[in-house]
Amino acid sequence: MNKVGIVGVGTTSFKARWLEKTYYELAYDAAKLALEDAGIDKKEVGGVVYGIYNEFFERQFMPDVYIHNYIGMGLKPSVRVATGGATGGAAVFVGWTWIASGLYDIVMVLGVEKATDNYNYTVGHPTPETLKAILFSGDMTFENPMGLTAAASYALPLIAHINKYGTPTEKQMAMVSIKNHKNAMNNPIAQSPKLLTVDDVLNSKMITYPFKFYDNCLYSEGASAIILASEKAAKALSDNPAWITGVGLSLDKAFAGERDDITVFTSSLYAGRDAYKMSGIKNPRKELDFAELHDAFTGAEILSYEAFNFCKPGDGGKLIEDGVVEMTGDLPVSPSGGLIGCGHAVGATGVMQTGEAALQVQGRAEKRQVKNARVGLVQSIGGPATAWTAAMIVERQDKIKGKVVKGSRAKAKAKVKAKAARRKR
Amino acid sequence: MIQDKAQWLEEASKKIKVPKELIEKAFKDELDGNPSIDAPLEIPDIMDITYKYTYGGISRFFREIRDNKQLYGTKCTKCGKVWLPPRINCNECYTPTQWVKLGSTAGIVTYTIVYYGTSVFFGKTPYVCAFVKVAGADTLIMQNIFMEDVKKARIGMKLTIQFKEHRNGDMGDFWFVPAQEEL
Ligand SMILES: [Zn+2]
Repeated sequence: MNKVGIVGVGTTSFKARWLEKTYYELAYDAAKLALEDAGIDKKEVGGVVYGIYNEFFERQFMPDVYIHNYIGMGLKPSVRVATGGATGGAAVFVGWTWIASGLYDIVMVLGVEKATDNYNYTVGHPTPETLKAILFSGDMTFENPMGLTAAASYALPLIAHINKYGTPTEKQMAMVSIKNHKNAMNNPIAQSPKLLTVDDVLNSKMITYPFKFYDNCLYSEGASAIILASEKAAKALSDNPAWITGVGLSLDKAFAGERDDITVFTSSLYAGRDAYKMSGIKNPRKELDFAELHDAFTGAEILSYEAFNFCKPGDGGKLIEDGVVEMTGDLPVSPSGGLIGCGHAVGATGVMQTGEAALQVQGRAEKRQVKNARVGLVQSIGGPATAWTAAMIVERQDKIKGKVVKGSRAKAKAKVKAKAARRKR
Repeated sequence: MIQDKAQWLEEASKKIKVPKELIEKAFKDELDGNPSIDAPLEIPDIMDITYKYTYGGISRFFREIRDNKQLYGTKCTKCGKVWLPPRINCNECYTPTQWVKLGSTAGIVTYTIVYYGTSVFFGKTPYVCAFVKVAGADTLIMQNIFMEDVKKARIGMKLTIQFKEHRNGDMGDFWFVPAQEEL
């Protein structure tokens, strides 16, 4: 398999509503930012993988085809990925295979979501309709009629976990909320930067037991793109590319009532195991410098610590209590603010997180930079009861064997350009 | 500018099946304000489609509930696993299953309490959503537990099935309530 680098990152602001942009206008903004960051023209892109979750959000089936047109990629290879909340991460996974297989030298992964164009006229707010649109992803015969909201979908395994281990406690979960809202203060694109106290979280309105208002991520609108490149192209385009050295993808039983152990995020365990193995990571707690996890709900982040083997099952809550996962700890989790702080623009989220991981290992994460960030983990969860997980390991250039030969960059770049031009139709 | 507000509201209400007053409230700025020509323009809409769908091989499950107030699962003819929700084949053995009668009691394996639901559940919150193990089944099924005080729900709670008086042949035809000894 060929090595896969990240040479460009572009993300729009994540916010509650982008009234002034449609989904393809947002996609265009992210594509433009990523191309500029990579220093390439759209002509050099071999193909595009789209991450867009929900047809009812976009008020459009097959929204990818209109984006492909709108961003001027006509006739290039393209495919859309839709794996619920894991859409962005799974899109990165597919883009990775396009480069790793040697099919293309440069691939754009573009995630976008317009989650709040829907509107509930009774309450004068989108949320009940947004939840309804999501609920169509629950099995329509057996689970949709039971009112399985996204929050309930996470709460079911979490409550089983709390019943077994006594953790995470509501206070530990509140601490995750505080951390991620606080981390978002260093992120200029974040939707919910905030300083909160434990009491603020514990006293906020109950949404779905045991999640209070501040335990939840908010729905966001936004777009995020990354440019993936083969080793040859990456070295031609950048002195300092980030590298995706491991990937994993797992889909657990969607009827969670069939699972052997409902207390574990098993798809994260499997996706993480595969990604670690590919990257040669044996002790994640020691070898990872940071992680961007899918904190759709505070408790989910804590169960993810356990699934990714940062600690033993049941000990996840201690990692937040001991400050390990804080920016000042030795394994900061979600420096971007994660879904809770930065926002959850579903199809864009996993792409944003992967882009964030690239910025971290490239030393470009500005105020949210983790000191000496060399290796990071990205997690993207989706589907009923966390059925789906995509996991990626993103590493810094100097962690990778093989050096760029000085003076060869211009030559290599010309070669890549020539190849792209030949492919141009 | 909307030329005839009354007619616009009439048409919008018909289109999205929402009372005129609520639409008027949501579009106050567009109707009564003076938005600039470049201001983002919003439009009321609805995505709607009707069905006459089939339950296929598990039709009997819903007929037994609707017509006989009886819960059935399916048993794999090879490994013997009893499935609920039922399925007409086993995904482990790739062999057919056969219908088996299930009991009327169950237990909560895990649950949550939903305080904020979709618009379909307005007026029904808070409600308990749980994975329950029905007597005789090997897998868990998701169901709602109806109880006076939802905060009393807990893992291990014993339940009894209840059927709706006028049943339609869908999952809303039955639910669970705490068993007598739990009260
Ligand atoms: Zn079987």
